[in-house]
Amino acid sequence: MRLHEYEAREIFSKYGINIQQGGLAKTAQEALQIATDIGVPVVLKSQVLVGGRGKAGGIKIIDNLNEVERAADEILKSEIKGYKPEGVLVLKKIEIKKEIYLGITIERTSGIPIIMLCSEGGVDIEEVAHRNPEKIFKLSVDPLQNLYSFQIINLVKKIGLTGKTLIGVVNAVFKLYQVFKEYDGLIAEINPLVITENHEIFCVDAVLEVDDSALFRHPELNKRKLNNMSERDKRLMEKGATFVKLDGNIGLICSGAGLAMATMDLIKDYPPLSPANFLETGGGITSELMFDCMELVLEQPGLKALLINIYGGINPIHEGAKGIAKIIREKKVNIPIVAKALGNRQEETWKTLEEAGVYVIKESETQKAVKFLSELLGVKK
Amino acid sequence: MSILINRNTKVLVQGITGNIGTTQTKLMLKEGTKIVAGVTPGKGGERVENIPVFDTVEEAVNNFSSIDVSVLFVPATVAKDSVLEAVNSGIKLIVLITEHIPVHDVMEMKAYVFQKKVLLIGPTTPGIITPGECKIGILPANMFCSGSVGIISRSGTLAYEVAANLCKIGIGQSTVVGMGADMVAGTNLVDILKLFNQDKETKVVVLVGEVGGTQEEDAAKFISAKMSKPVVAYIAGASVPPGKRMGHAGAIIERGEGSAKSKVEALSVAGVKVANRIYEIPSLVKDLIS
Repeated sequence: MRLHEYEAREIFSKYGINIQQGGLAKTAQEALQIATDIGVPVVLKSQVLVGGRGKAGGIKIIDNLNEVERAADEILKSEIKGYKPEGVLVLKKIEIKKEIYLGITIERTSGIPIIMLCSEGGVDIEEVAHRNPEKIFKLSVDPLQNLYSFQIINLVKKIGLTGKTLIGVVNAVFKLYQVFKEYDGLIAEINPLVITENHEIFCVDAVLEVDDSALFRHPELNKRKLNNMSERDKRLMEKGATFVKLDGNIGLICSGAGLAMATMDLIKDYPPLSPANFLETGGGITSELMFDCMELVLEQPGLKALLINIYGGINPIHEGAKGIAKIIREKKVNIPIVAKALGNRQEETWKTLEEAGVYVIKESETQKAVKFLSELLGVKK
Repeated sequence: MSILINRNTKVLVQGITGNIGTTQTKLMLKEGTKIVAGVTPGKGGERVENIPVFDTVEEAVNNFSSIDVSVLFVPATVAKDSVLEAVNSGIKLIVLITEHIPVHDVMEMKAYVFQKKVLLIGPTTPGIITPGECKIGILPANMFCSGSVGIISRSGTLAYEVAANLCKIGIGQSTVVGMGADMVAGTNLVDILKLFNQDKETKVVVLVGEVGGTQEEDAAKFISAKMSKPVVAYIAGASVPPGKRMGHAGAIIERGEGSAKSKVEALSVAGVKVANRIYEIPSLVKDLIS
């Protein structure tokens, strides 16, 4: 779960990281009110969950109070990369002497948290990391031990800081790691971490992504997430299904992410066929879950066919088949449905599907199902 | 021969009284797996399929002198606890089927089993099967047959498909290991490659990877330096568009590794026969075996 900047900065602040004065405005009038309270110059920042918003016009510096309302209105109305902003963050502008990059994430292969620090923070950090990887300093944290101050001091000294700013940045690293650990973070990032002329340290952008699997430990975030979801999406999440919208014409339901990706690779061999979505059921298939999955996938406009590719290991596919049959019975489904279903209780599964009018592929090769589907639609490789 | 498990392996099931635990216990017994005990706190003294249930792993271990493997069907919220319990009771191979475990818990488990020299397969693994001898986990047995190909897969259901397609042309498997699909895995591909490399009966290894992480790139380094057996690989997700990302930390840490292209290149350079599509695997294996 990705948090908005305004949410992440509040959490960082709660842990003692210094943030700029200001707050979130949902309307241009609210933005003006906040700007009046904190005084100009202010920075207006669009609250969207995508990167690169600065380059897309989502960040504006305003020196004159008369211009705040108009500029805020413009930001609130502008979509960025197709996303509508949730509001506009109005912040007191600070004088920047130096920008640092600070990020914490998980190194997947070793399964260890890594803290990264670079003296050249800002929007081009990935470019710096690519061109001069030696400028990124890293600290691995043993998951079974605490993080100690001396480790962080050693890290921060590597970017050449001394005295008051050294201690200030060490504190920021320590606190950000606390947030990362206590909030089950996948990524906690401050870019830039700003040092002012007065040697003060400010968090000027805040990124926090929380592990969805850990939301049971964070009821307030879980509640927020559920508030923004439909009943069906809630049921899908509860059962562990994952849906990603793509832009093709073949609906797809698979048990397993790897199987889904392999199937997508095969569909793309038959242009103009291409996957309309990625849907991974997880290991909790029930009749109801399959009904929900079908409904979700079939809602997509412009579908030519639906391909189901499932295995019965932990999943009771004979139960899943009942959900598929039910939705075909209840709703008018006028595109062909091809299903490959193998594993425990496959014969029962095939029978239910065939009786519902589904084309059943009883062989283990996914490409046979994809080929069958392409022939049905008159597409040749 | 096989790796990790065989007909003599003694198995404990943690979470045996739950719905999935009970269903899968029956299916494992049907394949000849020697399940000696189960554990569910509060259900000590009960029996599932005539297998005795204990409250703790320690009690189970005390009642049966040797338990080789524990397989877990426990809720994600208590998975870390259950894994640590199995480790502290002296079990050396742990198969964690449970999905959706917080990754911070997985990191702690991984560090702990490493310290204690225990092998943790999973989480989100379908388990391990040595066809005809022993099945530990949820793999549907009718997809597999006995033979001399080792399979390691980050994806569970793709492992089923690859095995079934090999069986169709008469090529069986020594052992099939599902590595688990989570962001962090208890055991990495390289650790299992090492075991297959030492196993006399395994002639060819099939590695099924997918986009994300750098395990396949590491495997390529090991194969090129140490592997004495031919390896066939497939990486799922060549056509998958990169997800929308926020924050730079992920990109900085992987530095261009992690894509299907990077993995395919690394493996090809290491001498691995890489299948572009899943259906090319059987013929590549057949060429190497004959």
